[in-house]
Amino acid sequence: MSAVTARSTTPQSATTPSTTTRRRPPRLRTVVLTAVGWLVALMFLAPYLQMLLTALKPTPELMKSPPSYLPSRWEWSNFADVWSLKDPPVSDALWFSLYVAGMSTLLTLAVGLPAAYYTARHRFRGRGAFLLLVLVTQMFAPTALLVGIYREMVSLDLTDTAEGLILVNAAFNLPFCIWILNAYFASIPKELEEAAYMDGAGRLGAMVRITLPLALPGVVTALVYTFIGAWNEYVVALTITSSGDRTTLTKAIPGFVTAYQEQWQYLFATSLIAIVPVVVLFVFVERYLISGLTAGGIK
Amino acid sequence: MAVQDTTTHNTGSGSGSRSGEERTPVAPARGSRHAGNSLRLRALEPLLWLGPALALILGVVIWPVVEMVRTSLMDISSTGVTRGFAGGANYAELFAEPDLPGVVLRTLVWVVGVVTATITVSLALAQLLNSRFPGRRMVRWALIVPWAASVLMTALTWRWMLNNFYGVVNRVLMDVGILDKPVNWLAHPAQAFAWMMAVAVFVSLPFTAFVILSGLGTIPAEVYEAARLDGAGPARTYLSVTLPLLRPSLLVAAIINVINVFNSFPVIWAMTRGGPGFATDTTTTYMYKLAFDNQAVGESAAMAVVNFALILLVVLVYLRVVRRREEIG
Amino acid sequence: MKRHLIGIAAGVTLALVVSGCGKGGSSGDGDSDGKTIRFVAAKYDDDTQPYWDNLIKAFEARNPGYQVELEVVDWEQLDSKVKTYIQTGQQPDVLNYNKFSDFARDDLIYQAKDIVSPKVLADFLPLFADQAQYEGVQYGLPFISSARLFFYNKDIFDKAGISEPPSTWAEVEDAARKIQKAGDIPLGLPLGAEEAQAEFYIWAMNNSGGWIDKSGKWTVDQQANVETLDYLRKLTKAGLTQPNPEATNRKDVFNQFAQGKIGMVNGAVFMRKGFLDTVDKNLNYGIAPLPSKDGTTHNTLGVQDYLVAFKKDEGRNREAVNKFLDFFYQKENASKFLSTEGFLSVTKSAGNALSSDSAYYKPFVDALSGARFAPTDNPNWSAVEGAVKQRIGTAVSGAEPKKVLGEIQETAEKDG
Repeated sequence: MSAVTARSTTPQSATTPSTTTRRRPPRLRTVVLTAVGWLVALMFLAPYLQMLLTALKPTPELMKSPPSYLPSRWEWSNFADVWSLKDPPVSDALWFSLYVAGMSTLLTLAVGLPAAYYTARHRFRGRGAFLLLVLVTQMFAPTALLVGIYREMVSLDLTDTAEGLILVNAAFNLPFCIWILNAYFASIPKELEEAAYMDGAGRLGAMVRITLPLALPGVVTALVYTFIGAWNEYVVALTITSSGDRTTLTKAIPGFVTAYQEQWQYLFATSLIAIVPVVVLFVFVERYLISGLTAGGIK
Repeated sequence: MAVQDTTTHNTGSGSGSRSGEERTPVAPARGSRHAGNSLRLRALEPLLWLGPALALILGVVIWPVVEMVRTSLMDISSTGVTRGFAGGANYAELFAEPDLPGVVLRTLVWVVGVVTATITVSLALAQLLNSRFPGRRMVRWALIVPWAASVLMTALTWRWMLNNFYGVVNRVLMDVGILDKPVNWLAHPAQAFAWMMAVAVFVSLPFTAFVILSGLGTIPAEVYEAARLDGAGPARTYLSVTLPLLRPSLLVAAIINVINVFNSFPVIWAMTRGGPGFATDTTTTYMYKLAFDNQAVGESAAMAVVNFALILLVVLVYLRVVRRREEIG
Repeated sequence: MKRHLIGIAAGVTLALVVSGCGKGGSSGDGDSDGKTIRFVAAKYDDDTQPYWDNLIKAFEARNPGYQVELEVVDWEQLDSKVKTYIQTGQQPDVLNYNKFSDFARDDLIYQAKDIVSPKVLADFLPLFADQAQYEGVQYGLPFISSARLFFYNKDIFDKAGISEPPSTWAEVEDAARKIQKAGDIPLGLPLGAEEAQAEFYIWAMNNSGGWIDKSGKWTVDQQANVETLDYLRKLTKAGLTQPNPEATNRKDVFNQFAQGKIGMVNGAVFMRKGFLDTVDKNLNYGIAPLPSKDGTTHNTLGVQDYLVAFKKDEGRNREAVNKFLDFFYQKENASKFLSTEGFLSVTKSAGNALSSDSAYYKPFVDALSGARFAPTDNPNWSAVEGAVKQRIGTAVSGAEPKKVLGEIQETAEKDG
């Protein structure tokens, strides 16, 4: 409990510039926080470090019992090998996954932003029903709906295409995005926008310059959530795609361990490769996650 | 001040149109621009904004749902060929399964345990990430990794680490002196379930922590200032100021987590495949087994429908409780 | 102004859908001239896809105008994919799978004689062709087979002072106790969900037990099977197996054997390629017939995978399917697959072509004459197999063997 109270004595949100109260931060608190922070970081990274170490082990050592902590020989070639594999085509799969995940995110935001904004700002007949629909459809996971999804792709002639995957990913992530964007838009006081109209901003201008920046944490959350959801999506990709050159990375990964053969080092190496683009994306958008308040300014 | 308004809005739950919404249609206020709209055009307006979203949701999500319900009412052979209408037979068979009560009970334990732990730990994590200390950004980046990695991968990694032959967890525990023989953690239902719940919490923490962190970000400094001026101590501030203001984020986090954890498949499937026997199955893995082990496709669809009904029930109950608490508080 | 946003959203959606329609997946369209066929192959290891790619290229070169679209799927996902395809009417033309009889029952597939030439049909070894029949008519095309034999680690045996591999169950237990005293894991017993049905059947068949009786009736709960489980349970409780057999899969057991940690295991013909060579080529192991309860007969578990062809487009795909299958079953092509993947032959011609690498394979081929197969010709088998995978492990850990077998028997007798 003391840890919590220690942190919450910071009387400001994370990104507001130092006010006059913090000229010399208390050193002990910073030290403790830093230690805890790094410990937490280590705990979260631990399994992935383990994956990395295992991916660098030579084959006979992989499942040695008892296991060694470090590889006896650092097999960086495992990564090089897996990158140039033809089956599954890891490098192609990476680009394909990027394409699918990126487009799914764009589609979701393009469709979800207007819907959420309008729902947050207006009352109209069917609004409640719409929000209920949004809530309820979040409860459906593709795992139970594979046959229906496949049948649908067949009739739309979208089987084995990236576009089919994009549609499905977008549709299944849309409810969450609308929901969270609706919440963020609704939490921004209308007075701010109206102040902007008074200043002659115009509806779209107000939305873009006032509301959107304040809702940025929500938009970024929705963006990251959709991207990761589409990036790691497995069962639908498995069901819809069939040809070798339309493999997503997630589909490629479990194939390394079959009943007749195990290539754990490739499985872990590919998994690590798969993490990189998401982390890169996150590094870019992370600051927007928290920055909302300072952008518009409550005067 | 406008700040207080932000906390009483609803977050788009079922009874959204009625509870405390003070939104007025914008158009009349800006009469000069829209005075020319006829009533009919105005009524179509929502359709324009919501249309594509509706199309996607109804088309790509609801259609397969209808299919799933239809399948649960059909008699389907082991190959997948439809043999005719079965009415409620699949449901009858499902409810007659002796393993079902255990599965459902375990699912509820799974959901409640994982969601509670996730939210509690995430609250603490969000506070940590909100505080200033050197390297905070790195910690935030580290936190994204379990979310960035697919759940299947993380579950496989944990299964790898818990193996009694080549897993590192046993090695560490033996080196530290807690164990003297490797334990096959995933072979004992209770321990396996505990580990799987921990893994489920592990993969849910990043998202939840960030949602709460975003929520913390919307709390303006003035609020804390005001609390300080009122003489509130840190604990009091947290409990009566921060937490209530976090309510919208907590609602989002709770509901999303409940839904995802209910539908969670990879963790259990990769780690124990629901075994030994059915001892670690939840409704989702059981549904999968019905289709592909038992070859009972219709019954599996019935389980999917029941699963969905369960989620709906849990979420609606939760919303009702939250709504009641909001009205009292 | 609002229209901007809507316009963008609508445009993006529309564009994606239209371009998607334009590109369009061709799977399941059913080519009107019947010359393009879809082939779904199971993935055995990472040599599978290159093999099929090359074969298809050669086939298409020899038969201009004919095309084969290949899809390679993991065994794990194959059932789900096949069911999805069939439920939506999108079944492939040719499928590489491990069962066929429920397809035959539902009249989904061609009979064997309709899709291969008489020469190929006669080339199948009777042992396998007989297993591929449903109600007396051959539907499945035997594809590959494997057999099991008793693998033992000679170094561990020496250390424990055992000179001969055991041939009766009592000898197995005796050897196990000696190995346990010497400090190694005596018996690898994978009863985890991956392949529990195979492991159990190997032991049960060598006690005159099994799945069905001579007339084809399900007898999963017969006394011989209960005895088998009692025996395995005894070994488990005495610590003569690796820990927790009910949760250990074949993969892990084979791997530990390859590392020289386990003394005895029911091994398979593909163990060398997939597990031994990758871990320790120089492992000092021996191969013996599978031990039986009384030591008289030594049956082996025969497993075969099949190729089946789905009826489509009123039989328009039959000719192309026929051509492709005949091409595969030519002895150079078939034997190449077997030698690449490490399996046993199901045709006479390929078997002869393989006899060069016989030292390792010979015991397995010989054992096939006493092979018992799972009743894949019974459409209910997949449900039984599923039930066994889920439940049988519990019989050596907590549950009562009689009860577990009773539950499985119930599943077997249920109408599929």
